[in-house]
Amino acid sequence: MNLFTKPMRLLTAVVLQQRSDQVVKALLQLGVLDFIHISRLEADQLAKLSSKPSTTNRVVLEDLRGRVEALLKQGHLSLPGESTLDVSLLEEPQVEAYRAVLDDLTQTLLALKEKQKVANQALLGVEEMRRYFTESKWEYLDLRIGSVKEGKSEQLTEKLSPYGAFVEPIDEEFVTVLSLRRDIAQVDPLLDKFGWTEESDPLLQKQAVVLVQSRLETEHKRLIDKRGEIEQSVKRAIVERKEELFAIWSNLRLNELSDQIKSYFSYTRNTALFSGWVPVDQAENVRNAIVEASGGQCVVEWTEATEVPRESVPVAVTSPKALEPFQKIVNNYSTPEYGTVNPTIFVMIAYLAMFGLMFGDVGQGLVLLLVGMFGSRSYRLNPEKKEGLLTRNVTNLLVYLGLSSMLFGALFGSYFGLPLLPPLWFNFEAAVEGHAPATALVHDVYGILGITIKFGIAVIYTGLVLNWVNLFRKKSYVTMLLDKNGVVGGVLFGTGIYMAFGFVGSGYHSFPSDPWIIPTLVICLVLLFAKPYVQHVVDLKHNRASKTFGQVAAGSIMEFLVDVLEIFTGYLSNTLSFMRVAGLGIAHASLMGTFKYLQSMVGGVGGVLIFIAGNLLVIVLEGLSSGIQSLRLNYYEFFSRYFTGRGIAYRPVGLKRSSSDNR
Amino acid sequence: MSSVDTYGFINAKMRARLGKMREEAVTEALLRAPTLVDAIAALRPTRYVALTRSYDQSGDIQAIELVLLKMEIALYREIAQYLDGAEGRFIAELLGKIEIDNLKNSIRLWYSSIIHRRPIRHRSEYIFKEVILHPVDWTALINALSWDGVVQATENTPYRSILLQHTEDSLREDGLFQLESRLDRIWYEEIRKATSLLKKLDRQKALELLDQEIDLKNLLILVRYGWYHRLEQEELLSLLLPWGEVFESKEVHHYIETPKENRSARDLLSHFLPAEHRIGDSSAVEEVLRIEELLAQNQKKAYQRLLAGDPFTIGIALAYFFLNKEEFNRIKAILNGKYYGFDEGYIRGVIG
Repeated sequence: MNLFTKPMRLLTAVVLQQRSDQVVKALLQLGVLDFIHISRLEADQLAKLSSKPSTTNRVVLEDLRGRVEALLKQGHLSLPGESTLDVSLLEEPQVEAYRAVLDDLTQTLLALKEKQKVANQALLGVEEMRRYFTESKWEYLDLRIGSVKEGKSEQLTEKLSPYGAFVEPIDEEFVTVLSLRRDIAQVDPLLDKFGWTEESDPLLQKQAVVLVQSRLETEHKRLIDKRGEIEQSVKRAIVERKEELFAIWSNLRLNELSDQIKSYFSYTRNTALFSGWVPVDQAENVRNAIVEASGGQCVVEWTEATEVPRESVPVAVTSPKALEPFQKIVNNYSTPEYGTVNPTIFVMIAYLAMFGLMFGDVGQGLVLLLVGMFGSRSYRLNPEKKEGLLTRNVTNLLVYLGLSSMLFGALFGSYFGLPLLPPLWFNFEAAVEGHAPATALVHDVYGILGITIKFGIAVIYTGLVLNWVNLFRKKSYVTMLLDKNGVVGGVLFGTGIYMAFGFVGSGYHSFPSDPWIIPTLVICLVLLFAKPYVQHVVDLKHNRASKTFGQVAAGSIMEFLVDVLEIFTGYLSNTLSFMRVAGLGIAHASLMGTFKYLQSMVGGVGGVLIFIAGNLLVIVLEGLSSGIQSLRLNYYEFFSRYFTGRGIAYRPVGLKRSSSDNR
Repeated sequence: MSSVDTYGFINAKMRARLGKMREEAVTEALLRAPTLVDAIAALRPTRYVALTRSYDQSGDIQAIELVLLKMEIALYREIAQYLDGAEGRFIAELLGKIEIDNLKNSIRLWYSSIIHRRPIRHRSEYIFKEVILHPVDWTALINALSWDGVVQATENTPYRSILLQHTEDSLREDGLFQLESRLDRIWYEEIRKATSLLKKLDRQKALELLDQEIDLKNLLILVRYGWYHRLEQEELLSLLLPWGEVFESKEVHHYIETPKENRSARDLLSHFLPAEHRIGDSSAVEEVLRIEELLAQNQKKAYQRLLAGDPFTIGIALAYFFLNKEEFNRIKAILNGKYYGFDEGYIRGVIG
């Protein structure tokens, strides 16, 4: 893991045009180059360059790949992943041939679907009759028994089929006909044509009911099976052509990526030029790959990141896989600036500490841990599983949160709200409920509030120190020393803390009157006021001043006033904001206390149920609030001190993230 | 309760869904799909996944249409449950429109079965048969052997009195057009009653939209039946919905009173459409279609304006329903177009 963003280097290469395809393949295989368009050449040199129109339309490739993916999904087949992509198999895409394959398969599927539609409509007809039959809605049905004097009963069956009527022989002489009564006006004339003679024997009628019911059931089952069979045929038709579809998909994807790389190439008559950013640790590999692919006929030049404006350098941040949930929290906020601190590890520590303080309980933490572990395992075993409310990242995060909650639970001596073991630090619940012994380390809510405020001060100072490190690395010395988030701001914040604690220590009677306080405040404020002037002098010295002295002077007063206001209100509110950590911890303990009280009132099985329900409610509600509040404190109180988020992410073109789902 | 309390949650929820709707761009994906199978596949990663399940099982687009109808009903019910009192009742009353469409479809099936003596096997299973707003007995209706049976199936509903005004013979003679027009009108009566109970701002918004819709319907009737089909004065007047600016305008009354051969749709519409949307001289059918499209576009714009206005009124829910309905209709049209093998350009032209 890097404590800072990865150092980068800019590659510019020239290769013979005839070898450019091999170079593209090599770069695609490596997948570490974040391409940029060449624009830093002199205008007359740029004029000699040209871009080559792509031989294939990337939109067409994407559309075709989308069709392949859709068909694979319909066949319940997993999309091909990185493992199926092999650059050595890259060949010219046969767009028309691919289209013909897809059209042919689609036509097969459409024909099957048409058959399925017919089967489904027949099924619906039977279902309607069957429903009326089972619900005894005889008023909608017409059941007759009789004999056919002219023609055969098979012919009658055929004639009545458009109305979904059933003709079932009872014995050699009599048949029964079941139809819907609403079709009677059409069925009657047909029966007359066949010389229908009605029979009213009650015994035959009973037989007819049983026969018809049995026929309805058989027909219903047959049609359901038929419909399902066609559905399976649809899947089979796709599975049978799986290999063909996979091959098409892979070549389309490789061509898309290759085309994407080529779009960054510029050409002279005989050469191809390209440029892109590479992490320093990959630079040698890239150079070797280009040299090898071009048969040594190439020129490779490197430019250090320090030679170009910082904001144009892409930022690569690496963290161990185990820290992925916290890396995502950082990514969700923004990308750090190039060369600055990678905040992931600090976010992890702060987030877990905040969560543990708000939601400290060994039992409830164990539940979170188990939910997280089972959820992660389920996603691991079933990579295609659709993400629900508990996403992959949340389940991974829950494992950490569970552990944090368990650790703090042990410190507070809380096991599903019960004091099963003595606390390693202090009894949180006793402090909240006011029955902690006077000798306890913390014995009331003020003590808890004090702890969280001190924790907040530690978090803010960590943020300030990280900011100073970032500014030092950026060589912004003036800002590092004189800014409201610089050393001056830190000293003012420290002085304020000292005075606040002195005030509380005096029983809220007076502020401390140490002789160093006033001079420190005055010096800091003067330095703060002087910042724009000092910055202007430095800018003049480096020929980068954009303002006149008059403009600086005019703006300095307003800037100073805003900075002072921000230091006094901002630092104060940021620090007090951490009281929410105590607030949620107190709410957690109070809720558990309430449920325990209710449990003792009810007793027995009811009491146990209340205890379980209470714990579940607290885990869901408090767990969610604590997670959200920890996120908020990280984003606003911690990040606002040092994280500008002005970086641009490093996005190399390669074989990874190759399916549409991942992009 | 303030309007922010009433509509704050709904507004946030609806806007999030509208954002998702735009993000998914379902219509565009469907249009670009070369075949029905590809179009269905395009629906899989969207909120319409239930449609694809239905198609996978049945292979029938009509099954998809029933799922869409169920989705639409669920949508109204969901929003209605977030609102109490007059607002909740108003939203529930909007379901009446769907109920009337379902009633018209059921009566058409009955008509086909009993009057035209055509089998309606399986088609009757694609009718929504649960209670929507009033206790219509849908099964009894489609199985009725006579018009009396149909009337009986609508007992304890406001539709019964309308149905009683017709007989089997009159329907056999004149068709269903008059009956359907009356059913449409009764919904507007009911919804206007429900509107009167709303708070002032909501009432204004709802009436504004209703009147706009009524104006649009009346213009369509005037063009289609007054100009294209050349109906007589009384007949034409009886079709109009008796509300809105169009109904009350002098121009319309002049148009109706003009001898049917001399009526000019162009003159009529010049009062109600901006100059750049005036109709041309091409064939009447094309003109009618074009006018319908223009009026529908105007209506869409009005709903889109609602989204940009005060977020804490009933307007947001109405706009959401409208945009959903529009998307549902487009999906149905495109899937049917793909089924019959029409190309992308043609379907695009039809759905506008």
